[in-house]
Amino acid sequence: MSSAAAATTANTALYSNTRFSSELLASSINAFSKTHFTTCSNSLRPKRNTRLILVPRASPPSDSAKSTEDSGKRKRKKKSDDGNGGDGEEGEDDDNRLQLSLDDVNPVGLGRKSRQIFDEVWRKFSGLGQISRTSRTDDEETLFIREGPMCEFVIPGAQNTTVLVVGATSRIGRIVVRKLMIRGYLVKALVRKADQEVVDMLPRSVEIVIGDVGDPATLKAAVEGCNKIIYCATARSTITGDLFRVDHLGVYNLCKAFQDYNNKLAQLRAGKSSKSKLVITKFKSPSSLDGWEVRQGTYFQDVVATKYDGGMDAKFEFTENGEAVFSGYVFTRGGFVELSKKLSLPLGSTLDRYEGLVLSVGGNGRSYVLILEAGPLADPSQSKLYFARISTKVGFCRVRVPFSSFRPVQPDDPPLDPFLIHTLTIRFEPRRQKPVEVNAETKQDLRSFKLILEYIKALPTGQETDFVLVSCSGLGIEPSRREQVLKAKRAGEDSLRRSGLGYTIVRPGPLEEEPGGQRALIFDQGNRISQGISCADVADICVKALHDSSARNKSFDVCYEYVAEQGKELYELVAHLPDKANNYLTPALSVLEKNT
Amino acid sequence: MALLNPNLNLRLPLTAPSQSQQQLSWRCNVAVAPTNLGTRLGFGSPLSTCFRVRCNAAAQAVNVAVGSGTPVRSTNILVVGATGTLGRQIVRRALDEGYDVRCLVRPRPAPADFLRDWGATVVNADLSKPETIPATLVGVHTVIDCATGRPEEPIKTVDWEGKVALIQCAKAMGIQKYVFYSIHNCDKHPEVPLMEIKYCTEKFLRDSGINHITIRLCGFMQGLIGQYAVPILEEKSVWGTDAPTRIAYMDTQDIARLTFIALRNEKMNGKLLTFAGPRAWTTQEVITLCERLAGQDANVTTVPVSILRFTRQLTRFFEWTNDVADRLAFSEVLTSDTVFSVPMGETYNLLGVDSKDIVTLEKYLQDYFTNILKKLKDLKAQSKQTDIYF
Repeated sequence: MSSAAAATTANTALYSNTRFSSELLASSINAFSKTHFTTCSNSLRPKRNTRLILVPRASPPSDSAKSTEDSGKRKRKKKSDDGNGGDGEEGEDDDNRLQLSLDDVNPVGLGRKSRQIFDEVWRKFSGLGQISRTSRTDDEETLFIREGPMCEFVIPGAQNTTVLVVGATSRIGRIVVRKLMIRGYLVKALVRKADQEVVDMLPRSVEIVIGDVGDPATLKAAVEGCNKIIYCATARSTITGDLFRVDHLGVYNLCKAFQDYNNKLAQLRAGKSSKSKLVITKFKSPSSLDGWEVRQGTYFQDVVATKYDGGMDAKFEFTENGEAVFSGYVFTRGGFVELSKKLSLPLGSTLDRYEGLVLSVGGNGRSYVLILEAGPLADPSQSKLYFARISTKVGFCRVRVPFSSFRPVQPDDPPLDPFLIHTLTIRFEPRRQKPVEVNAETKQDLRSFKLILEYIKALPTGQETDFVLVSCSGLGIEPSRREQVLKAKRAGEDSLRRSGLGYTIVRPGPLEEEPGGQRALIFDQGNRISQGISCADVADICVKALHDSSARNKSFDVCYEYVAEQGKELYELVAHLPDKANNYLTPALSVLEKNT
Repeated sequence: MALLNPNLNLRLPLTAPSQSQQQLSWRCNVAVAPTNLGTRLGFGSPLSTCFRVRCNAAAQAVNVAVGSGTPVRSTNILVVGATGTLGRQIVRRALDEGYDVRCLVRPRPAPADFLRDWGATVVNADLSKPETIPATLVGVHTVIDCATGRPEEPIKTVDWEGKVALIQCAKAMGIQKYVFYSIHNCDKHPEVPLMEIKYCTEKFLRDSGINHITIRLCGFMQGLIGQYAVPILEEKSVWGTDAPTRIAYMDTQDIARLTFIALRNEKMNGKLLTFAGPRAWTTQEVITLCERLAGQDANVTTVPVSILRFTRQLTRFFEWTNDVADRLAFSEVLTSDTVFSVPMGETYNLLGVDSKDIVTLEKYLQDYFTNILKKLKDLKAQSKQTDIYF
């Protein structure tokens, strides 16, 4: 019984308008023919109808006429069932029976019921005489087709994922939106103007946000509630201003808006989510300064250096108003001062599960060099140095430094392995400082600095990509403008990489408008491709990349399969035929290099 | 009407003025006298007149200048019958492969919103009203026709007259490919009206000279869910027959996939393909499989085929139950131990498909039951929680 009730629940509201009749139907059959038919026995027992109802996401398509006709009755029935469902007291049961019998006396209701009974018998009976006709009620499709398990494209969890598509009306964007829709994602589309033409082009349940990637203020609303972004907008012309606004600044603005939104979320859920940051140091008391040491040095190791020695000094102290301040001056040419500490992470945490550092700092807006020392703890001589330059602003700001932006000091060293990091150094050097424009009167000496440190945290890494950017490979652009287009695109790519978001950058060959999934694709890194690709295949890659961990933090070129030219066939190119049976993207991308 | 009025010239209201001089003279010669083709349309009771129908699509009359003007992109397709079991899978597949999909849907109070949600364009037209058809075909490259009349309406309105009008219209408007779904063995069972109509349509399509692919189908796996799987889970009675007929059920998603492969293959033009599932099943076998996967016994109500046949015979005696008789007509097929299946090896080779990628019924039902049982478990867990809180 319980499983029967549960089974009913699963199909739920779908059947609520037919269930009643089918129960009666069973009993009526029982009455008139016991010879040929064996029937179910649980017909007229008051069924405990649970309150759980799978509410279809959208109103069930079509059939609304019927459902309005029935809805009154359905509601009544539900209400009585609710009363009944609680604990099945006798009194309540009696009430129910009274209600039902009152309903039963109504001649209209009787007529309708008998018609339903007949319809049901007839449906089943005549169903036998069919070959492959499926009599599916429109409600059922909600469970089976739109959200249910029996749907080819639906991705588990897609219903909880909101994807912002930028450039939703572009050649790729249109297909991306459709693909997301049939997979069950919630989709937001950023459009510049909600013209009727544009609205008609997008599926009805796509949430349309009006905004412009060139205008940061409008992007706040766009990223609200989004989990992922697919950026397939491109400048409509090759005018430099357009290129800059859409392909470069647009990506930058959107990354920033998205990151701001993520940070806001992380603050709300502080410490609760796996996405929360790891505190490396928090400078909130004098004792928190323990372990940090101030050092001085010069790049010129020889005697000549002394000639330029103008003197330098630096100190790290905890001031009365509760700030940890690293300040000083470097007048010596080629000199630097640095603040360094051996990291001691909480037990069980290793930095390889993090993908970068975020520093909350204030001061007078100098730029600094972050240096990470990585190597086996037991043998300091094997440590290797990695550096990344950060710039700060006057006043407080947060600086994100992904581990991927650290470069080895010795060019031959392998890329940074965050697992091995043991020492963090912040270095100030007077070289390459840019003056800050605050008040022109105060004379700035770029050789002095003041850095107020609030905290240093590690950014958690993610499994998936957050931002898919469709760039271009440069093929198929008119040669005279190729330089400018590529410059803007590359600048956009760079700002995405620097943002610290998990990214995937797809650089397709010239786009062709033909159905996707027909030809094998080649994934490559290094600007060697020569073929075109269909828009649908690019869209497919974008959508697949959303949940593919091997797509995170990668840039790659993609085009149709081709036979490599003589002399170039040495490169290993990976071709994959997109198909239902295989997920071609993972094997294709797993051989490609990360952080590209 | 094409059937009942002999020598009817169906005139299509064409919008383009250049085409208006050319009268379409597609003739469906309907004669009471027996003809050589001799497909017997058994509408009506045995006592009423039996028509012999010859499909004669006069192809020479129609050579509309195709090719002038804006070329139509090959990704523009029109799906007829898009709300059906097969149709919706066709639409999804097409959208996923990057086609621009237009769906011909009958006007109704609540339009098929799910198609719009997926990103298809919905146009309203009714096959039984030929004047509504031409506008929907503007700018379409390929028509995929998976429409079949609803069970409750007279079978020939949509399935015959509507299809004839659609094919004529497609030809007149220069549609470059027409995909038609038929039923397997439809040539062998002229006593079943639906199958006979499908067979006639196949011939009509062939004679029309339009670039086409005909695909004959056996049975849909999706149909088994409502018929057997759901009733078993709900512990309701399952109705089955004791017929020995075997049907090679196929997943509609596979059908859609193969269709598009065939559609893009120029070698398939004008071909008659039959799609069948990997194995043919009897009703009893399907029920047993469902029982095993659901882990519970079913209350099987076995209706002997003889009863179905008897009901059909009975209903055929009355004019007003003729439609009923038509719907039961398949019982004639059931009594024979026909096998609805064909070896697919050659088709797979032709299309370049791996037979491993075709879903078997065991796999399909297993997926269904695993998913649904998991969902039920979740719901139960939830219901316990609600018991605590409320």
